[in-house]
Amino acid sequence: MADAEQTPPDAGTDRSGRPPSASTEPPILAAHEVHRTYRFGQVEVPVLRGASIEIGRGEWVAILGQSGSGKSTLMHLLGGLDRPDAGRGTIEFEGRAVNLGAGRSLDRYRNRDVGFVFQFYHLLPELSVLENACLPGLVGGWFGHARAAAARRRAGELLEQAGLSHRLRHRPAELSGGERQRVAIARALVNGPRVLLADEPTGNLDATTGASILDLIAAQHAEGLTVAMVTHDASVAARAQRVVHLRDGQVVEG
Amino acid sequence: MYAALLSNRYLTSRVIPLIAVGAVALCVALVIIVVSVMSGFLDMLKASGRTLIGDVIVSSGIGGIPHYDEWLSDLRALPEVEEATPVIDTLGLLRMPYPSGPSKEIAPVQVWAIEPASFARVTAYGEKIWWRPPADEAARETMLPDDPRLRMDGSILRDGLTLSQGATGKPGIVMGMHVSVGNARQSDGSYRPRFGWFMPGEDVTLTVVPVSESGTISEPRDATFPIVNEVFSGVYDVDKSRVFIPLAQAQQLLRLDAAPLYDTTAEPDAEGNLPLLGTTPARVTKVLIRAKPGVDALAARDAVEASWDAFVAKAARRSDRLGRPPERVSILTWEQQLRDLIGPVEKEREMMRILFSIIYIVCAGLILSIFWSIVIEKTRDIGILRSVGASRLGILWIFLRYGLAIGVVGSLAGVGIAWVVVDNINLIHEAIGRDAPRAAWITTCALSVLSVVMALRSLVWRGRLLPGLLWTIATVTLGIVTLALLGHRGTLIWDPSVYYFSRIPSQVDWFNAAITVGGGIVFSVIGAAIPAAKAADVDPVEALRYG
Repeated sequence: MADAEQTPPDAGTDRSGRPPSASTEPPILAAHEVHRTYRFGQVEVPVLRGASIEIGRGEWVAILGQSGSGKSTLMHLLGGLDRPDAGRGTIEFEGRAVNLGAGRSLDRYRNRDVGFVFQFYHLLPELSVLENACLPGLVGGWFGHARAAAARRRAGELLEQAGLSHRLRHRPAELSGGERQRVAIARALVNGPRVLLADEPTGNLDATTGASILDLIAAQHAEGLTVAMVTHDASVAARAQRVVHLRDGQVVEG
Repeated sequence: MYAALLSNRYLTSRVIPLIAVGAVALCVALVIIVVSVMSGFLDMLKASGRTLIGDVIVSSGIGGIPHYDEWLSDLRALPEVEEATPVIDTLGLLRMPYPSGPSKEIAPVQVWAIEPASFARVTAYGEKIWWRPPADEAARETMLPDDPRLRMDGSILRDGLTLSQGATGKPGIVMGMHVSVGNARQSDGSYRPRFGWFMPGEDVTLTVVPVSESGTISEPRDATFPIVNEVFSGVYDVDKSRVFIPLAQAQQLLRLDAAPLYDTTAEPDAEGNLPLLGTTPARVTKVLIRAKPGVDALAARDAVEASWDAFVAKAARRSDRLGRPPERVSILTWEQQLRDLIGPVEKEREMMRILFSIIYIVCAGLILSIFWSIVIEKTRDIGILRSVGASRLGILWIFLRYGLAIGVVGSLAGVGIAWVVVDNINLIHEAIGRDAPRAAWITTCALSVLSVVMALRSLVWRGRLLPGLLWTIATVTLGIVTLALLGHRGTLIWDPSVYYFSRIPSQVDWFNAAITVGGGIVFSVIGAAIPAAKAADVDPVEALRYG
């Protein structure tokens, strides 16, 4: 992963707001007319107001917007961490409405189908680099020794690709910001998800380190991973195949 | 699996869970120590009480048991019975040989008239006679040089065993160790004569009141006995009030001996004698029975009850109506007999157990507050775990497992502490009973000085308040400990004159320890459950955004 090419992805990608493969196959992940309102005491703050987005299989979509525009909220909804307001919109993964299922199916969705990368890395400080990276592989079963061993192997491979094989036993506090984000990416990929959801993955890094993280994501994308990335930085968004904007709680293409 | 990883990591990578482990360990240790000592005390009390009453006790009313010799023969023939002995149990007043002068102290006593030989086979009477020469060289070496027993010969023991004064042939009396105020108990559990009042060899006068079968009280009668020895059973009530005299003398004093019975309603004959109705048999008021080894006291009691019924039936068939035994007598096992004595101590033990178990609630509260703060601190981690697919139950289980681990580790540590303390409780007690060793207060003083230096270093040179405060607390604590050690001149906590056992019970009550460990674990999990539920309810989005 560390040696991935730094050139932008295919410049000929469709930027019209439609997934490039929309005409041939259904989107892998989609939000339809999603509303999300937060309540702070008596005050209701509508964040998303009928936002819709379709992300095609193997696509890299950047969701661009100002701070507070609801980018992270949309990302949380797409990733099954949150649900839309009752009866107001659906989130579909491979044509299946994930937000309508039980909590257990959402847990499974987050564990197997999508991987999260956050701006502030969100690694567990008590665990080593390797343990952090294989954490999703340890979740989801009482008798998962074989699965845990497989997760450790896979995490080791991903960390090696990220150039962190010499840091496996280190704690997150002993790593630089870029290294932490690489661990976070390895963690997001350890269960082999089909979609990577990245929330400002370079937002807390300097430009050079941020570029290397984007290269890492690009390398995974080149291998067929679908990527949805939230950012407020247009130059970061430029690395994606398609850019959508979030304005007034709605997705605006182009 | 991640729950195991995280709860183990939380347990080992932080200091605060160690405080929770320490709290659980101390609670468990405290309960085990208290209950073990109380249980040991109760066991010793039971054993001591049993030593002077045998396994089964038969008590009759005032009229006594006639033809008791015959029934004793029946009893001795029973396969469940090892030995049986007759006893008269009555109350009396004992005129003590002190103080000097004509006015002497009078002590109310419980008189047990016994046949010493068979009584010693039923009870541990022989072993409980106090004044005797040391049995062997090893016993001699355990005695302090001023112990009067070191200068005694075997005659005093023989006199006690036979209830007769060997030198004069007079029937003697053996008193409970604390009937006389002349015996001062020492810290090693031995006795010294107080004010020079060594009782054996002195005379006492015993006054008893004969009571007829119909309950009529006769003139009090008295007899003077030489004190031949004293007995120490270990039970306060016995040692404070019981005296032993020979059965024959008691029967005479109490008019319970065999005697001719005249018809007082008839006219006297020419020589002035009333018509003789017959001879009333000698009587006793109690029979004590020792069960054969391996025979349960309850089984022995059942056999004795059946034997009594047969004895009564046999007596009913006799033409002699003077020696009819009462139809009903009280037949109790030693444990039933001592219920009044054991019951309160058992209740006290239960009360202590309940009171000390309240500590568990404190323990659970402590774990709850510690876990609550951990959950708040770990809110972001919970959000991360939810983001990688951890379920709410999974999050709940992390903290329950964490509480379980603290409960198990703390409880086992508590058992270890309790075992060390209980096993060495007499050594600890003896150490507390002596002046503090110089090395102890010099060490604490040196540590106190070191703490002052560390406190100044933290506060003045480094400008750090928290370590400075902790070192200051350490300084004050060590200073207080130093002063306490300097002023310590030996404290006798387990005073044998109060508890009547020279050694503190030092056996861990493992059954209660197991229950206590279970309680420690359960309350730890209960304490962890509320924060765990809160953790499970954490909104992952909120946690990631604001955690």
